[in-house]
Amino acid sequence: MRAAAIGVALAGLGIATYLTVVHYAGDEPVCAVAHGCATVQQSDYASLAGVPVALLGVLGYLGVLAALARDGEAWRTAAAFLSLAGLAFSGWLTYVEVGILDAICIWCVGSAICMALLTVLTVARMLRAEPGGAVSAS
Amino acid sequence: MSKQAVIERRRAARIESERAERARASRTKRLWRLGAAAAAAAVLAAGAVAVSSNGGAKPAPPATTSSLLAGIPENHGVLGDPKAPLTLTEYVDLQCPICARAAQSTLPALIRDDVRSGKVKLQVRTLSFLGADSVRAARVAAGAERQGRLWAFLEAFYARQGTENSGYVTDGFLRDVSKAAGVDAGQAIGQADSAFASGRLERADADATRMNVQGTPTLTVKRGNGPERVLTTSPLDAAAVQAELDREAAR
Repeated sequence: MRAAAIGVALAGLGIATYLTVVHYAGDEPVCAVAHGCATVQQSDYASLAGVPVALLGVLGYLGVLAALARDGEAWRTAAAFLSLAGLAFSGWLTYVEVGILDAICIWCVGSAICMALLTVLTVARMLRAEPGGAVSAS
Repeated sequence: MSKQAVIERRRAARIESERAERARASRTKRLWRLGAAAAAAAVLAAGAVAVSSNGGAKPAPPATTSSLLAGIPENHGVLGDPKAPLTLTEYVDLQCPICARAAQSTLPALIRDDVRSGKVKLQVRTLSFLGADSVRAARVAAGAERQGRLWAFLEAFYARQGTENSGYVTDGFLRDVSKAAGVDAGQAIGQADSAFASGRLERADADATRMNVQGTPTLTVKRGNGPERVLTTSPLDAAAVQAELDREAAR
């Protein structure tokens, strides 16, 4: 389960890194399936207090990976916490795409899916912790 | 059963009971931890959403293109009954954020109350002094005009307006705007370099010069074939614009 979570986090990190690079390069994301990437990327919602949302995604995924790299209840809780927060914010951004901007960014959807999977995996891993704080290898 | 066996059984039962109790306590503890993590995550996300909502506080896109403009005729970029006694002309630059605000705060009421009733017809002069993105936007808007969808295009453009001169008016962006406006994007973008589009930009510049337009948005009104005059009220003040139009109509 831990390996799966790391895999998903790396996939999410890849997406967020790509969007961050595109943001700072001033380019448009490649948007083969849907065609709203530029609209989403250039909207006011693409930054949070001046920080690109994509960069926050990079930091979030790095945080989850750091928490997954260690074991113990506190780190499992940290991974679940970061994933839950990321999922909640991804949910908001997905609503913004569909309900406000009327544009779908396939990369953002991909990241939201990664965050949802990560949440399932990290929460399940946290709940499966061995009694008394002992840790399993999962 | 020997006494020793009974003691062993009791011991095993006690150990099992203690193990189950520890497991229960651990599960409860983990659930509490999860609840706390979820609550903290919700607070963090709510804060981020609040900042995001404020940071992205563009005026909400107006009621959809279809509901605001539905059923109103558009001929050569003029919205409303061609015989309407008053002609309201808006001088805009599509990149201008105040033009977007005016389009979203003032125009909807005018369109609903005055254009739809046949009292006023609306026309627009798309200027392009802010930069290259303005030129591109105005040229493709001319393409939308040829399809009888200029006002829908303007509405969709303003709803997605980006940061001035950031290079956001790309073909991808214009396709998204066109799609939302019901405009054939390929055709409109293809006509961006046409003589028609150039003519529209030249006409806008010439009219703005003639009217001594000092900034955007500027509204002018004309009664019948009478002289065009610049409205003295703020284009963002819907009530004041309405009052001025009413006075003009009563003259």
